[in-house]
Amino acid sequence: MPVIVIASPKGGAGKSTTAILLATELALAGARTVLFDCDPNRSVSIWAGRQALPKNIEFVNDVGESEIIRTIKQHDTDGKIVIVDLEGVASRLVSRAISQADLVITPMRGTTLDATIGARALALVAEEEEALGRKIRHAVVFTMTRAIRSNQHKGIESSLKGQGVDVIDPPLMERAAYSALFEFGGNLRNLPPQGNMDGAITNAVEFARAVYQRLAEPVEAAA
Amino acid sequence: MSDQQPFSVDIGKLRTATKPEPTAQFVQTSDVAGERLGFVNRAPKGRGGRKPSPRTGQVHAKTLPHVAEEISAEAKRRGVVQGVLIEEAWALYCRQNGLESGGEAP
Repeated sequence: MPVIVIASPKGGAGKSTTAILLATELALAGARTVLFDCDPNRSVSIWAGRQALPKNIEFVNDVGESEIIRTIKQHDTDGKIVIVDLEGVASRLVSRAISQADLVITPMRGTTLDATIGARALALVAEEEEALGRKIRHAVVFTMTRAIRSNQHKGIESSLKGQGVDVIDPPLMERAAYSALFEFGGNLRNLPPQGNMDGAITNAVEFARAVYQRLAEPVEAAA
Repeated sequence: MSDQQPFSVDIGKLRTATKPEPTAQFVQTSDVAGERLGFVNRAPKGRGGRKPSPRTGQVHAKTLPHVAEEISAEAKRRGVVQGVLIEEAWALYCRQNGLESGGEAP
């Protein structure tokens, strides 16, 4: 079953938020998901510790570089989607996780700094594809975006698309509900109201659907 | 609250690539590819502090230097290991604080 790796060497790009939104929305859509927290900051562990895990979600933490491949293999079984949230540094843990990925998602804010550092993850995927002799699908999702996008954001997005990078539409908007997940745990449906809940849920559902569509495409199409 | 229903995942439609067995060579290939771009080993090198004794696996307590010297000197004078003094000190501590163990062997 598919392994989705959330990778960017840039801290604060929205990796953990992306991982949790994806896991919770796919779980609500009926998929059994396994969520790995491989970040020493333990953001996903904080979320997981707030309340009982939502239905259809398993949680795995404290996975280091020496165990990452074996542990992914253990959970990469029929009927499950594995989602790996990685640390925001350039480490061997990241490259080993990517070696097991069916889809690598690189979250980045619409800033030059995020794009510059996030591009290292894209380069790593390309390097691993060549070294391992298989295609690894990858995509970028813009995070913490506002309704009106800055010129900088538009320029980065246009540049990425021009280079053939798959940019997930919709981006993940900046929503109070997303940061509240780390305060209350669970999923967007059982949060106390936080700002524009309808907008937050719609955005998260559409994002998860866009990822699902990529997972359902033939592997060859990613080549 | 949104009444939007989540979409439904058809697990049978999900595609996954065939990945080679993670042999040592496979892992090394992946590591080398990562290292070329600065994705290097950043795993913690283990805990600091005094290492456990290779003979007994015990971790010795750290004390201020002058206390360590006094314990060492007293143990040498009596011809016992320092752990004996710690056991005696623990028994004394338990008696003073009304603890049950008293440092007695189980």
